[in-house]
Amino acid sequence: MNTIIQNILVFAALGFALLFLIRKFIWSPKKKSTKACGGDDGCGCH
Amino acid sequence: MSKQINVALIGNPNTGKTSVFNALTGLNQKVGNYPGITVEKKEGICKLPRGVKAHIIDLPGTYSLNASSLDENVVIELLLNKNDKDYPDVAVVVSDVENLKRNLLLFTQIKDLEIPTILAINMSDRMAYKGISLDIAYLEEELKTKIALISTRKNTGIDELKELITNYKDLSVKPCLQASEIEPTYFNDLRKAFPNQLLYKLWLVITQDVNFGKTDRQTFEAVEDFKTKSKADLKRLQQKETIKRYQFINETLKAGQTIDLKSAKDLRIKLDRILTHKVWGYVIFAFILLLIFQAIYDWSSVPMDFIDSSFASLSEWVKDTLPEGAFTNLLAEGIISGLGGIVIFIPQIAFLFLFISILEESGYMSRVVFLMDRVMRRFGLSGKSVVPLISGTACAIPAIMAARNIESWKERLITILVTPFTTCSARLPVYLIIIALVIPEGRILGLSYQALTLMLLYLIGFGAAVGSAWILNKVLKIKSKSFFVVEMPNYKMPLVKNVALTVLEKTKAFVFGAGKIILAISIVLWFLASYGPGEDFNNAENIVSEQVASENLTEDELHQRIESHKLEHSFIGIAGHAIEPAIRPLGYDWKIGIAIVSSFAAREVFVGTLATIYSVGSDEEETIKNRMAGEVNPILGGPLFNFASGISLLLFYAFAMQCMSTLAIVKRETNTWKWPILQLVIMSTFAYIVALVAFQVLK
Repeated sequence: MNTIIQNILVFAALGFALLFLIRKFIWSPKKKSTKACGGDDGCGCH
Repeated sequence: MSKQINVALIGNPNTGKTSVFNALTGLNQKVGNYPGITVEKKEGICKLPRGVKAHIIDLPGTYSLNASSLDENVVIELLLNKNDKDYPDVAVVVSDVENLKRNLLLFTQIKDLEIPTILAINMSDRMAYKGISLDIAYLEEELKTKIALISTRKNTGIDELKELITNYKDLSVKPCLQASEIEPTYFNDLRKAFPNQLLYKLWLVITQDVNFGKTDRQTFEAVEDFKTKSKADLKRLQQKETIKRYQFINETLKAGQTIDLKSAKDLRIKLDRILTHKVWGYVIFAFILLLIFQAIYDWSSVPMDFIDSSFASLSEWVKDTLPEGAFTNLLAEGIISGLGGIVIFIPQIAFLFLFISILEESGYMSRVVFLMDRVMRRFGLSGKSVVPLISGTACAIPAIMAARNIESWKERLITILVTPFTTCSARLPVYLIIIALVIPEGRILGLSYQALTLMLLYLIGFGAAVGSAWILNKVLKIKSKSFFVVEMPNYKMPLVKNVALTVLEKTKAFVFGAGKIILAISIVLWFLASYGPGEDFNNAENIVSEQVASENLTEDELHQRIESHKLEHSFIGIAGHAIEPAIRPLGYDWKIGIAIVSSFAAREVFVGTLATIYSVGSDEEETIKNRMAGEVNPILGGPLFNFASGISLLLFYAFAMQCMSTLAIVKRETNTWKWPILQLVIMSTFAYIVALVAFQVLK
């Protein structure tokens, strides 16, 4: 039981680490602003 | 009763304009706002000789009539609108005797508006200290004005200024120079299209968002006889105008102002004379650098040893306390070891930024910029390139962005391309651990060999930057003009709060920025080193037991052999062996090869990677340094990290382009992949060749 939980934790940690590195260096989805235009949010309309 | 004289006080910020206003008006003043905006409006009444009164307005500080802020717009609009009730009968331009050249730009522009103008030169009590003498008669003639030499601190010259204001009708309204000469055809067309308007007023309306009366930008577009220019062309003309004005100011001050540095009594000038001296300036700078590197080593050794042993103990404690298993091993051998590899360098990085911050806060860094301009020019760089090169000691990314204020594209591009050579804080952990392993601890003239090596590496980085700049200057065929302006701040005692905040901010950015990457890479590396494909890895116990059956090994020795066999046949071992032929001539084994490849993400990952690889399978409580010192070269025998391989590694990291984020920022700043790819190929090839030669010569 202990071995299974430890292995699950290892693979979960590995998954998070890989996801973080991929998003940091290879591909990060572009965030689309959901805010309404109004503040100086770089939307280019000011 | 005679009419009140409207007086506008105008000047650059920090010229003592408000002190002049206070001296003229005393308590007869009020503060309000300009209609519709939040810009402060200060006005007051001044009693002049012969019963005359003046209404004085203290206008917001502005460097020129090329408005870039709301405050500056207020000044221009008032000076353009003759119908405004506050339109001045006379303008008093307040200038600071120490910055006359810069202050006169605004003066010459106001003269072009044909407003009677007085030049009030403030802080005249500083002239003797600064070794400044002025030929007032000459300046009055050239500038077509009257000059009042005043000191609001000593309360001198105010009566003379009041006298000049009273007699403002005697002042000349002729401009000092003909700005329209920058493009005569364009200005002639403008004059023909609007014969009843003042030329310079029209020019100000065309070039910026201001109006006078009913005349604004749209007015020009509606006139058929006159064709206005594009925004880019107008900007170019504005620059030509500024250059023409400065040429006139330079010529006027050359004859009308003398600055005798030898007679200067001011402490700042005395210090500047030494600190920016063409010989002593460099000697002092080199001495300061030496002191900094010595202090980094001497002061950080105790906290570093403490952090190193704490992480080793923590790793051991985790193994002893948590239940046995893969995740416990990941924590103890992967995460804690990897993080220990970065936290250990906090003291040295904090001390480095402490010194840099003190140098900046005290005003000395600007002198270094000035001093280095002389050197930089010979290598095709500008004095402004020093700022990115010095900022590069923290991180190349903000340093490359700091190159934006270099006007010349060629100089800016060269600065962007060479800045990654300067020793950034990410290189520091690599340098520190390798130096500790391969450079002896002896001293010469009180300076340790290790501190001198670190300083040498910083100089090599700087030398590589300026050397490659020289080559690029010869190779790149880009034509552009350049000029260098730096304002020297006064010397001051650094504020403890500012210094502390800088150190905290920079150290935090280093630890948390790199820390997250190192944590993720440590997890991946631990996994790759702890798992592997095939029989060689899965049956390691049986294979090794059979191999050593005839040898009489202790249980510990057998365990060590099994772990070593597993590591060699793990995923990371297989990858490391695949790249080993390429790095063996440099004196590195496959483990160093893996560390070099993983540190392509960020250089500081190198130490964390080695700490993780060397920890896998190790049961002993050992520090990173001891683990690395204990590694044996599998081919040549003896320590893996010896003088030859150590120097080779140091030089490899000094020159290699091991930073993905830097490449990304170079792409963004140059708007093409051409330059970052060239940078990567050239720097990495050069690093490989230098490291190869160093190892082959020294081995």
